[in-house]
Order: sequence, then C-alpha cells, then structure tokens
Amino acid sequence: MSVSRKLIAVVCAMALASSMLLMGCGGSGSTGSTGSTGSTSTGGSDAVEMKLIKDGVLTVGSDCDYPPFIALEGTQAVGFEYDLLDALAKDMGLKLEYLEPQSFETLPTQIAGGNKMDLAVSSITINDERKKTVDFCDPYFDSNQAIVVNASSSYAKSDDLKNKTVGAQAGTTGMDWANENISGITMKTFNQASEGFQALQAGQIEAMFLDAPIAEYQTATNFPGMKMIQVIPTGEQYGFAVGKENAALKAAVNKSLQNLIDNGTYEKIFKQYFPNLEPSIK
Amino acid sequence: MDFRATTKAHLGNRVLVVALLSLALTLVFSALLPMQSADALTTDAVTAKRNEDGGSAIIGGKAARLTWTGFVDENEKVMRISLTFPEGSGLAEDARVDVQEMIMDDPLHPVPDHTVKYTDDLTAEGLVLVFEDGLRPNNKVLIRVEGFLFPNATGEYSITGTYVDEQGTPGNLEADDPIAVTEYTQMQALVDDLNGQEWVQAWNSNKFLSSFLNPAIAVASVPNLFWGWLISLALVALGFPLAIPIGLGVAFLRMSKLWILKFISSIYVNVIRGTPLFLQIYIAFFGLPLFIPNVNVFVLGFGVLALNSSAYLAEIFRAGIQSIHKGQFEASASLGMNGAKTMFFVIIPQTIRRVIPTMTSEFILLFKDTSLLAAVGFFEMMQFAKVQANVEANMTPYVVAAGFYLLVTLPLTRVISVFEKKLAATDGRTAAPDDKKSRAKRVGLFKTVAPLSATTSDPNVAITPEKHDSR
Repeated sequence: MSVSRKLIAVVCAMALASSMLLMGCGGSGSTGSTGSTGSTSTGGSDAVEMKLIKDGVLTVGSDCDYPPFIALEGTQAVGFEYDLLDALAKDMGLKLEYLEPQSFETLPTQIAGGNKMDLAVSSITINDERKKTVDFCDPYFDSNQAIVVNASSSYAKSDDLKNKTVGAQAGTTGMDWANENISGITMKTFNQASEGFQALQAGQIEAMFLDAPIAEYQTATNFPGMKMIQVIPTGEQYGFAVGKENAALKAAVNKSLQNLIDNGTYEKIFKQYFPNLEPSIK
Repeated sequence: MDFRATTKAHLGNRVLVVALLSLALTLVFSALLPMQSADALTTDAVTAKRNEDGGSAIIGGKAARLTWTGFVDENEKVMRISLTFPEGSGLAEDARVDVQEMIMDDPLHPVPDHTVKYTDDLTAEGLVLVFEDGLRPNNKVLIRVEGFLFPNATGEYSITGTYVDEQGTPGNLEADDPIAVTEYTQMQALVDDLNGQEWVQAWNSNKFLSSFLNPAIAVASVPNLFWGWLISLALVALGFPLAIPIGLGVAFLRMSKLWILKFISSIYVNVIRGTPLFLQIYIAFFGLPLFIPNVNVFVLGFGVLALNSSAYLAEIFRAGIQSIHKGQFEASASLGMNGAKTMFFVIIPQTIRRVIPTMTSEFILLFKDTSLLAAVGFFEMMQFAKVQANVEANMTPYVVAAGFYLLVTLPLTRVISVFEKKLAATDGRTAAPDDKKSRAKRVGLFKTVAPLSATTSDPNVAITPEKHDSR
C-alpha cells in the first residue's frame, strides 16, 4: 500500500515538473520590468486602453524554430526576436512571456481568436492575405527568400527545380513563392522548418524554400551538409501580428519599437545576431 | 530660271542622298540600339499568385496578384517603365501597385530601398511607372499589381513592356514564360456566388461560424479533400491487408514453444506497441531514406502503418486463438488432425469470427492514424486540409475533413456493434453488458455448454485484448 502511494506521489511530482517545464518556454527572461499592471499605455494619448491576455504581461506566440530569430535552448526561447521583444516589453513596462511552441500556420487564426496571445512573433512576413485575418505592427526586419539544397546536389538555381518535389514550412511565404514561380513542383509542407531540413537530409525533398536569414544561419551551423544556392530578393518585411480590434496595443508596440530604434537598442540587438549586416529598418 | 531649276534638281538629289544615308544610319542604329538598351533593364520573371479557391490554378476575371521582376544593368539607370497587359485584362476595384527597389550590392543580402519614389498610372491596358530619381544600376525592381484580373478565357498570357533609361533611350522588355490562365470555373463561380449572398454574409458575421463553418470555403474544400480522402483510404486499404498476415505470423511466433522465437516476437510487439506511431513515422520518413535512398513515399507510408498495425493485430489474433477452448484442440486431435490442420480448419475459422469486431476497430484506428503522415509532408487528407486552411487562414477545411473521416468511421462503428450482437447471440448470450450479475450468469451458461461450443476458455478474458484509443 505505502509503496504504491509513494509511486503515485513520484509520478504526480514528475507530471507537475514536466508541465512546469513546458510552461517555461520563455517567461523568466524579463527582469527589471516596472511591474505596472493591466493596460499600460505608453502613448498617454491613447483613448482606448489596450487589451492584454494577462495583466502586466506581454504574451507572445511563436513556433520557436527559426534561428537566429527564435529557437529553444532547453525550454527557454532565445534569439533576435526574443531579445527584441524583451527590450520592447521593458519599454512598455510589461513582463515578457513566451507560450510553448505553436504551429506557425495557426498563428494568424490564434491571434484573430483573441484569447491566447497578444502578439504572434515568428518571422511573420506582412502580406495582404494575412492582413485579412490580423493587423501588423510596423516592420522590424527586412527579409528575403532563399533556396537550400543538399551540398552534394547539382541544383544551382530555381529553374533547375522545375517538376521536382520540394518543401517549405506550412503557410510561409517561401511556400507561396515556390508555388508561384516554379512550374510543375510538388510542394510538401512541414509544421516546423527543421522538419523540412530533416526531410531534405533524408532525400524526401530536393530543395527547401525558406527565409534567407534562417537559411544562411542553418546551413552555416546546424546543417553543414546543405548549401544555400540562391537568395531571391522579395523585399518582404517581418511584423508582429496583433488582433484587429486591438489598435491600442498596436499603437503602443509601434511607439516602443520606434523608441528602441531611436535609442540604439534595436541596432545593438541586431548587431549581436547579424554582425555583418547593417539594420535597414529605420 | 535654269539655274534655279538645276539647283533645285541638285538639291533634290542631295535631299535624297541625305535621306538615304539617314535611313541607313537609323537602320544600323535601330539594329544596335535595342541591343544596347536591352541591357539597361531586363525582365527577370513575370508570375501570378494562384487565386483559385481550394485549387492551384490562376483564374481569369478574378483578382490575382501579378508580379513583374526586372534587373537594372550596371552603369544604367531606368527612369520609366511601362507594362502592357494582355487584351481583355481588367482591374479589381481595390487594385493597386506596389513597387520595391532591391539593392543587390551584396547578392546574399538584398536590401529594399525604402526611399524609392515613383508615380504610377494603372489601367486595364497597362501600367506606367515614372521614377523620380530613377532606378539605380545593379538593382532589382519588383512590381506587384494587386487586384489584377487576367482575361476570362483559358489561354497563356504574356506581359511585355518598354522602358526609358536616363539618356531618354527607349527599350523593350521581353516577355517571360507565359502565364497559363484558366477560364472562370463553375466551382469558382459557385464559391463566389455563395460569398455574394446575403445569408452567407450574415452567417459569416459570426466569428465562430465564419472560421469553422464558412460556406464558401467548405464548398471549395470538398473536391480538394475528396482526393486526399481517397489517398487516405488507399493507404489503409493497402496497409491493413499487409498487416494481417504479418500480425498472424507474429501471433504464431508468440505462441511458439521455442523461447527464441517467442522472445523476438514479443520484442517486436512490445517495441511497436510501446512507442507512438508518430515517432515511428518520423523514423521511417527521416531516418530510413538515409540508408535506402529513393524509397517511394507512398510505400513508406503504408509500410509504416502496416508494421504498426501488425503488432496490434498480432495481439488481437493471439488473444483470439487462445480464447478458443482447449476442448476444440482435443476434439481435433481425437479426429486424427495434426497441429497445422487443427489450426487452419478448426481454430482459425472460429478465431476470425471472434476477432472481426476488434479488427474492425483496429481498421478504424489505422484509418484515423493516416492523418499522422501529414506531419512529414505526406499528401493525405489532413495535409490537403492543412494547406487549404493555411491559404484561407480559416478552420473550415478541418471541419470538412472531419466529416470525411466520419464518413468511413461511423458506418464501420455501426458494423462493429452489429457483429458484436451477432456474436453474442451465437455464443448464446445477449450483448455483453459487463456487470457482475450477467457475468455470473454467463459463467453458469458456459459451464453447461462449454465442452463443445466455441466459447472462451476463461469467460473473464475479454476478446478485445487491447483498447488503444490513442497511440
């Protein structure tokens, strides 16, 4: 009897610990937030108060799988976006909290649902299709598309991939670009970008389409057996997705983002992750 | 007079010579000039985003996004671009132009020039862009026309154009590969018609209804998902029959008297049943091809499903066979039948009848589990639904997919309950309610009938050995 009770207690403790680990994707990162609660509006002039999921907390949803922008170290979210949002939340007088990794494709719908996250930040390109569902704050990064293939393959440009099986993360602009520009392809989509890389490694797909900064980073670090063959200038820009009815939050985020750009914080964080580039967002 | 006349004639000759000379010169230059100016701005690509709801075609007469990409040569500047649209093109009410100049100094890191200044004149015939400071050398220019309507007639269309460089020299823009356009389809007409109706608009004003049960998206998703449904069915139709002999074989091995066979087969069953199918799919799709290149993904798909199911079926068969009363074996032996004969002519026929309901629920589980293949990019129904849900940023395709799954699983569930009732009736009992009283009754019944009837040797052993609603 007592043995089985002990066992139950241990199992319960393990379950609790693991659930706490899961919840901890992010969260602990923000220090020194001013701790003001509820609808903090840095704008001052905002008549409408902004809505937050949790008082005093900026709740952010991401797929947490797009380094160097966002990735998980253990259960902690790290990367350019995390640091930027951490600074942003501080500027807004809020605490930053990342949700457990979300499926990228569902982020716009979740934002529209309006009861899970305040911002969706996952290298989301601002475009008309998404604007039907969500609003975007001001852009925070200029990006492009890229094609990644296995280093051993002979593909050199996008035209070589006509009529081939290729892959992209579901719902991304990379998927759209390939579908629009290369004829006869079979497009396989994945929940996470890293699954696409694994499929490429396994020869399930001939090429992977994704945002250029991530392609550059991944081929240089985690997937040395792959190479980036082409950068396609699309001039797309990333923006934080925000609920359409939450104009006050959007205004507050835009103001704080501009603050970070003006006071050099943005550039500092940018240089930390992209030492060879100059920030083009002003 | 004469003099005048001669001068006139002389003058006439001169004019003729000059005219001829200039003609020759223009010919030479016109032959040279386009080559020269063709370098100033070249067409990179002309594409359009697919605009068919639930499909992948470009439909004429429906708003699409046209993208024209060009490249400015080094040492050249482009002041003006004009594009000519195909005859019969149109513009949506909210049509607009978006121009981006990309600085390509570092080809790995193109940067948009946010300062580009231009004026645009967009009409159904074409687009004229005038750049205040000109497009600079070596840059790329992206021109996007949102709300562009291709001619509503099936065919291939090209976009041509002209430009003017800094010196004022004009040049032609070559057409890219033509864009294949489909005539407005009936399906598309139905979808657009639905969206235009008042009740649909009222329906969609409810956030829940519009995101889960959007009528137009539901209609558009049906043909799309039907195809995926067939693929899912094909997967399970090939995988399940493959799993049956494997499962039966493993079941025999598990009942073998040789410990090594028993050991191997129990490892097989326990490892496969002890790990999630999701994980097995990942290993099969991302791991196996590293060693066996060029595996057909469809084969891989139903193969991994069959292997997974075989372990569950093995246990179902084993329990089924072991549930046959010992007396059956003894009776066969007394009739002079050997082990194999007993198995195939006496035991297995009785087993089949017993395991059919459990097998059917295993079939249902396997059919539902085909959806897990979507995670590795396999195109079955779930993946079709996912793609469409992405495009529309709407949950309706998932709801329609749920309907397609139920189309298979609900009738089969009904089949199971019918089978179970029949089985119960032939076993001399009513549909097994599991309270103690009836169990006691059954035990009593078995005791009296047991020796020859095909009943469980231990009535407390359920025929359903494994209930695994989730893997």
